[in-house]
Amino acid sequence: MSASFTKSTARNIFYGGAVFFFLLFLALTVDTVQTLPKRDNRANLTEQVARGKKLWEVNNCIGCHTLLGEGAYFAPELGNVYQRRGPEFIKAWIKAQPTGAPGRRQMPNFHLNDAELDDLVAFLKYASEIDTNKWPPNIEG
Amino acid sequence: MPRSRHVPGDLAMWLFILAELAVFALFFALYGVHRARQPALFAQGQASLRLGSALVNTLLLIAGSAAVAASVRAFAANQLARGAHLLGWTWLSGAVFLLLKGEEFAHLFAAGVSLSSDDFWMFYLSLTVFHFLHVVLGMVIIVAVWLRARRGAYGAANHVGVETAAAYWHMVDLVWVVLFALVYVAR
Amino acid sequence: MSTSAKAAPRPAGGPTPANMHIRFASQTVAKPYFVAAIGLFVGQVIFGLIMGLQYVIGDFLFPEIPFNVARMVHTNLLIVWLLFGFMGAGYYLIPEESERELHSPLLAKITFWVFLVAGALTIVGYLAVPYATLAKITGNDLLPTMGREFLEQPTITKIGIVLVALSFLFNLSMTVLKGRKTSISLVMMLGLWGLAIFFLFSFYNPHNLVLDKYFWWWVVHLWVEGVWELIMGAMLAFVLVKVTGVDREIIEKWLYVIIAMTLITGIIGTGHHYFWIGTPGYWQVWGSVFSALEPIPFFMMTLFAFNMVNKRRREHPNKAAVLWALGTGVMAFLGAGVWGFLHTLAPVNYLTHGTQITASHGHMAFYGAYAMVVMTMISYTMPLMRGREANSNGAQVVEMWAFWLMTIAMVFITLFLTGAGILQVWMQRMGEQPLGFMATQDKIAFFYWLREAAGVVFFAGLLLYIVSFFVGKREAARG
Repeated sequence: MSASFTKSTARNIFYGGAVFFFLLFLALTVDTVQTLPKRDNRANLTEQVARGKKLWEVNNCIGCHTLLGEGAYFAPELGNVYQRRGPEFIKAWIKAQPTGAPGRRQMPNFHLNDAELDDLVAFLKYASEIDTNKWPPNIEG
Repeated sequence: MPRSRHVPGDLAMWLFILAELAVFALFFALYGVHRARQPALFAQGQASLRLGSALVNTLLLIAGSAAVAASVRAFAANQLARGAHLLGWTWLSGAVFLLLKGEEFAHLFAAGVSLSSDDFWMFYLSLTVFHFLHVVLGMVIIVAVWLRARRGAYGAANHVGVETAAAYWHMVDLVWVVLFALVYVAR
Repeated sequence: MSTSAKAAPRPAGGPTPANMHIRFASQTVAKPYFVAAIGLFVGQVIFGLIMGLQYVIGDFLFPEIPFNVARMVHTNLLIVWLLFGFMGAGYYLIPEESERELHSPLLAKITFWVFLVAGALTIVGYLAVPYATLAKITGNDLLPTMGREFLEQPTITKIGIVLVALSFLFNLSMTVLKGRKTSISLVMMLGLWGLAIFFLFSFYNPHNLVLDKYFWWWVVHLWVEGVWELIMGAMLAFVLVKVTGVDREIIEKWLYVIIAMTLITGIIGTGHHYFWIGTPGYWQVWGSVFSALEPIPFFMMTLFAFNMVNKRRREHPNKAAVLWALGTGVMAFLGAGVWGFLHTLAPVNYLTHGTQITASHGHMAFYGAYAMVVMTMISYTMPLMRGREANSNGAQVVEMWAFWLMTIAMVFITLFLTGAGILQVWMQRMGEQPLGFMATQDKIAFFYWLREAAGVVFFAGLLLYIVSFFVGKREAARG
């Protein structure tokens, strides 16, 4: 059995395939971005939530926790922590850190004031109301 | 070289075709799984499809396949003008397919159907739009080969490029026939 | 020890470098890049060991190095040392492929020091002050980009990375433009340009979490399952051309086919990250279908590497480099291909998303694909830059021991994390009475201890790897 196999055809398929699938990816991205308003809870994306997101970022929370399943896997999922624990528990917990319990994983104290704690909780509430196709499987995250 | 032991077209294209067929096969399999889970939804969606224009489209792609196959034979017989001419017919069959299908999409989109409507329309649009883009790609390949043919790049001794394009077109046609049977006909 | 079938090729014309084993003197600018890469690799593994211990002794080094800091250092060092490796590879490979000296060796040297100092300062910043303070003093408020996984670098560091990348790309592009254009160099350049372009999405950080995450993956996924694979393919192809003596045409056409498959499956394969982050449901189908096929290019790469070595037309004296090349093929397939496939289908990922399963895949994929391809390149080029075709037999034996220690240790790290992940999914996400996160972690601590032990073996392998550079100097000098 014989078949032709040339570098120029392989090259053309590489370029053609890459362009084809990248354009398709762009088209799906356009559709996604147009569909997101129905899913991403942007109606509740307030100034306070934006401040909370920034606090989430500048304290590198993602370095231990996951949010919607992405991040480090060292500490609990926080995408649904608002439902799991409620706002008051979250604030009290953050203020009480570190526990100092010997041998236990420790969370630093980030010295957040009451307004900042409210911002952070508002962000976690907003994140918890995003339509994630029913993930996580249960409340434990 | 004995004719029967010759694989037409370029191996790289065959690998590409295999990958594409694998993608479509997975899509079809998932379509089957979801259809089995929600028979009423899929039956309702399938009933709203226009069988007539899909049948015309099936015939168009098959005609395009016949033309490109004839084109390969023409090049093999060193009938270069006839070969290029037949490529034009293949391209035309694709263009009409796109027109008919595009009109149907425009209709659906105007009615607010989208990938997020429900599982039936998600699969329907995923399969048909993905296939639609393959027809577009097939036409681009046909044009590329046609331009090369016009420059005299092919002859009886060397027309692998035409075979390669034909192989791709047959794949696009084959996928459509399966799609037609599975999505339009099987109820 | 067999000697080479052919003498080292000499440049047809032009100046003859003092070192007869390299074709163009400017290729040696790669050397500091590789040295820095290995140095940062050591740092990465040390922080990995710290984190591994923190998994079981939670308060280890607290509050001096909290876990989030250690992790940031671990992952950022990985990215930076791989970038150093890619850049070194670029500076070595592009002049040789282009058959001319590098456009500006001086610029390459300046770029090296800028990148090293910027990288070092960033790491020092992570360790010296709280992250929020680092954000404040680096002006994160002006353009907030920090605090997202893998993109923790201060905004000014990110800008620095872009400038370094532009300087590097300018230097290499000028070299390619003025010289011979081969498929290997074009693919390499395409990958490197893609790397720089997709990094620009790290500057897009909208308040909308879903959009943030959606385009965050344009950096992360389109890097590691897109353009980085072009770089990897080009590096592997380059080394295979050199060590096997197989016709370049054959190697290059397979390179094209493999990277075509990579992008055909990998671009839409990004969808496997869009299952549960607020993106539309159809991504579960699109992402599953395309990413299910992502192992194919990795499998082809494995077959490709073994086939080319089997068809070799010369016995290259650098056996270690051949071993690294083959190892890259196998481990990339296992780590990226098999372990990726394991949890890529949406119904499976629903249970495994964000667990130790993800961590297991990440470890073997990064080591198998990217760490190993950089070490393949280092293994092939370092002896040449040090004035010999291959290291002494003794040095190669040590290097091969290091290869096996690191590789086997990584297999075990992956297996232990997979075990931990399966138990985690079982206890925390399945059944009537799911356990909480920390309760589950306590129950799987045994697997974390085993992982830490495997990590220590990996570290020993890495130290041995460094030792291999200093073994048998006298013997090599004589030969």
